[in-house]
Amino acid sequence: MSASLAALPLPLSAPSRGRIIAIASGKGGVGKTWFAITLAQALAKRGRRLLLLDGDLGLANVDVQLGLSPAHDIGAVLAGRVALPQAALHLPTAGFDILAGRSGSGSLAALDPAALDAAVALLPDAATRWQDVIVDLSAGLDSATRRMAASADLLLVVATDEPTSLTDAYAVLKLHQQDAPGSAVSIVVNQAQDLSSGRHTYETLAQAARRFLRREVPLAGIIRRDPKVKEAIRNQAPLLTRHPSSTAGNDVDRIAEAISKGRPGA
Amino acid sequence: MRLKVFRAATTAEALADIRRELGPDAVILGIRRQGRSVEVSAACEPPLDEPVIVAPAARATPLARHNLPAALAARLGGERVEDALAREFRFVALPDGSARPLLLAGPPGAGKTLTAGKLATRAVLAGTPPLLVTTDARRAGAAEQLTAFARILGLSVTVAQTPAALGKALAARAPGQPVLIDTAGTDPFDAADAAFLVALIRAAEAEVVAVLPAGLDADEAAELARAYALLGSRLLVPTRLDQARRLGSVLAAAWAGPLAFAEAGCGPGPADGLIPLTPSLLARRLAGEPLLLEDNAA
Ligand SMILES: Nc1ncnc2c1ncn2[C@@H]1O[C@H](COP(=O)(O)OP(=O)(O)OP(=O)(O)O)[C@@H](O)[C@H]1O
Ligand SMILES: [Mg+2]
Repeated sequence: MSASLAALPLPLSAPSRGRIIAIASGKGGVGKTWFAITLAQALAKRGRRLLLLDGDLGLANVDVQLGLSPAHDIGAVLAGRVALPQAALHLPTAGFDILAGRSGSGSLAALDPAALDAAVALLPDAATRWQDVIVDLSAGLDSATRRMAASADLLLVVATDEPTSLTDAYAVLKLHQQDAPGSAVSIVVNQAQDLSSGRHTYETLAQAARRFLRREVPLAGIIRRDPKVKEAIRNQAPLLTRHPSSTAGNDVDRIAEAISKGRPGA
Repeated sequence: MRLKVFRAATTAEALADIRRELGPDAVILGIRRQGRSVEVSAACEPPLDEPVIVAPAARATPLARHNLPAALAARLGGERVEDALAREFRFVALPDGSARPLLLAGPPGAGKTLTAGKLATRAVLAGTPPLLVTTDARRAGAAEQLTAFARILGLSVTVAQTPAALGKALAARAPGQPVLIDTAGTDPFDAADAAFLVALIRAAEAEVVAVLPAGLDADEAAELARAYALLGSRLLVPTRLDQARRLGSVLAAAWAGPLAFAEAGCGPGPADGLIPLTPSLLARRLAGEPLLLEDNAA
């Protein structure tokens, strides 16, 4: 099995530029936003200067999950009202910065082409200022999502064991292969019943990629279903703050460890 | 991708359901036991939108004595057999196991080990001694048979009984060295057997060759080929092609898989050949001509 999970090193980016890690799923509600927040916290804990960018231009909710009311959002940056560094909100408790999605500025989903270009260009811009930029993408496969995914150094595709999630995650892999051939992508299995069924979910999706896309997609990690996740979200607190050691938190921590060592597919 | 999860009491039933619902192009993505039933995830891509071809009734053809399935006989009749074969089947070169390990799978007694021996002989003659692995430790003396061939060739045989051991064994491979993997006879309709084979295939990232003997019942051969295709095989090596007098099962297997014809096993010893199959060679064999030594060009 180890062979099919060959470590997939993150492409070395120029030292002056941080890594862009985008998180996609195709299907909504699988846990992207929660995972993005928790991964951000786990990486920040390792000393990475990190920005969590809410790339869900339609239904931003990073700020909601964290109970924040940021003064600025991505809409203000795109409109040129605030510069990116000033728009980012520092979260001392979680140890990273956040650029919120829309917060009252209306939906950004229907961007005109120029604004869309500007939104996509925010990612490499942010990567010149932070060591890691985590982008929480929206569900679905609209062009903004696809372009942001394509500009990432690493795309993490979150899937659960539901056939709809697997099908949509596969669609993400397929389009990503078209949009950014050869770029790094790994699978995150979320809400797994246990590690072995999570493994089965991964193998199923990896086999689809192998057979239909002729591509080996490594496993970034398996996150088990854990009631503490919902509990933390309900309390609008980051999981690792509220429960420094929990099943799901430890699972994400392991993924962060692999990523910080440049081995998201180990 | 159209993905569906099937649950049934046995793998055979699940495979039948998959074939019925998703059609012949479905691919097995995962198999696991869930309590008393088997859960198989299968998918096809792109979605099936081709019209179903209903075969006309078979006419008597020169192929009649080979007992072909009616639908196949209908498609092969009415033109030069060689041309019909070229149209209906794929003929490909058998890879040598250097790009991806070659894993030989098939029912017990199909001739997998003999085929492994023949391929190993060929590789040694080509100056690229292969890494020879067997996963067959279930049957008494199974490894010995391969070891006997290997000894003549000055090769050693690695026994790897689990997917993990297989992965480890392959780590010892020299860059560019061909890898040949002999496996235990599998019943692809048995959930445990099928899951184990899939795990081996994945551990080795192997190209799977279905090894099926000529002379089976045609429907039986077709079902077996279909099952191996679902488990990931794309290539067929029919064995005992020199002995069988009726080749309906060989054609039925390749057609049902679908599996591409690679080479055919002829002759009882490891130095005897594997013959690259071509439409013309197969046509001659169907016409009753013996396989000649000159055919063994490889
Ligand atoms: N590991 C887990 N264990 C238990 N519950 C989980 C886990 N991961 C996610 N959830 C649940 O899934 C819900 C959806 O999570 P989240 O909002 O992060 O999904 P999303 O993929 O970002 O959704 P959307 O597509 O709407 O943006 C959460 O409210 C949480 O209750
Ligand atoms: Mg979300």
